[in-house]
Amino acid sequence: MNRKKILLVDDSNTILMMEKFILRNGPYEILTATNGEEGVLKAAEQMPDLILLDVIMPRMGGFEACRLLRSTRATSAIPIIMVTTRGEAANVEAGWANGCTDYVTKPINSIELLAKVRSFLGDEVGQ
Amino acid sequence: MIKAAEGKDRSYITAVQEELQQYTQGLLRENEKLRAMATTLESDKRRLELEVIEARVVLQQKDELRRAAEAFEAERMETRMQLDRARHDCDAATVELERLRARFYDVEHENQTYAAQYQQIEIQSSNLSNLYVASYQLHASVERETVLTTIQEIVVNLIGSEEVAIFEFAEDGGEFRLASSFGVDLSRLKSFKAGSGPIGQRLLGGEVFVNDHVSGGEDKLTACIPLRIGGQIIGAILVFRLLEHKQGLQPLDHELFELLGVHASTALYCANLHQVTAAAVR
Repeated sequence: MNRKKILLVDDSNTILMMEKFILRNGPYEILTATNGEEGVLKAAEQMPDLILLDVIMPRMGGFEACRLLRSTRATSAIPIIMVTTRGEAANVEAGWANGCTDYVTKPINSIELLAKVRSFLGDEVGQ
Repeated sequence: MIKAAEGKDRSYITAVQEELQQYTQGLLRENEKLRAMATTLESDKRRLELEVIEARVVLQQKDELRRAAEAFEAERMETRMQLDRARHDCDAATVELERLRARFYDVEHENQTYAAQYQQIEIQSSNLSNLYVASYQLHASVERETVLTTIQEIVVNLIGSEEVAIFEFAEDGGEFRLASSFGVDLSRLKSFKAGSGPIGQRLLGGEVFVNDHVSGGEDKLTACIPLRIGGQIIGAILVFRLLEHKQGLQPLDHELFELLGVHASTALYCANLHQVTAAAVR
């Protein structure tokens, strides 16, 4: 029985730890990356079922990483939730334009994040 | 004489014959009448026999009808009993339905209470996670730059403000000097003295200052968090405007401000000590 894989990509240890905490009780296997480049490579290697992607990161930002994941055949269908500090229209539009599936704003609301993750992965453990 | 006697006899015989003939004819007529009567009676008999048959049929039908009526009556009684039982069952079912309905409302209310409690627990769990993550990250390193970055990360990611400045008290000048900032231009506020200016005055009390109505604040200061070690204030964290989508401060934010006041100060103090010690060792 394989658990659903979620890749968390963020340069902030605080956010990575927070996201792990929120998702800790779910039937998920958590993978992490601390920048966009590492996130893209890890996504191609591990083929996660969902990616939580920060926007502003060193080496490669979230929008570029999102675009790259979408343009790669293997990772093009993986749902991507952008995690952004800014919820204004322009930023959200940029996220959609680069191929994200959904977004959440910081500070992360655990109930909102869990609801979105469940909407993509369901409550069932992956087979 | 003999002839006279013969004539008398002959007339007597004739008279007798005539009388006999009349009698015979009378008998014949009577016979005819009787025959006709017998025919009529025969006809009546057949008619009566038919009527008897018909009567028997009618009686048979009557018996059948009586039996049917008895069966119907029995059925009616049975139906009435069933109806009575059904009414009784219906009454019992109505009572049971009312009981179940009341129970359903109770359970639904209980369910709503549990759901509300569950949501409260979820929120509390989330809040505790935030506080745990913040304190864990603050004490995860003794490197000064890492501690300063962690303080910024907590303000940006857990509180929701991208305008933060961290000041440290400098013994040599007796003033608070800017140690680190993010998203705010503090070219005019690189240092300040305790008790001087709006921020310096707020630090004097040593308590966390929180402005819950940021838009109305003169300096757009959301929070001023003194960093205390014992009774001494060694620095301050200033939090300015909140992120636009953040709808005001929550109870958790107040908890985080208090946590920063205690844990950020010890983390920063330890990091500074470590820096001095490391420099002395080198």
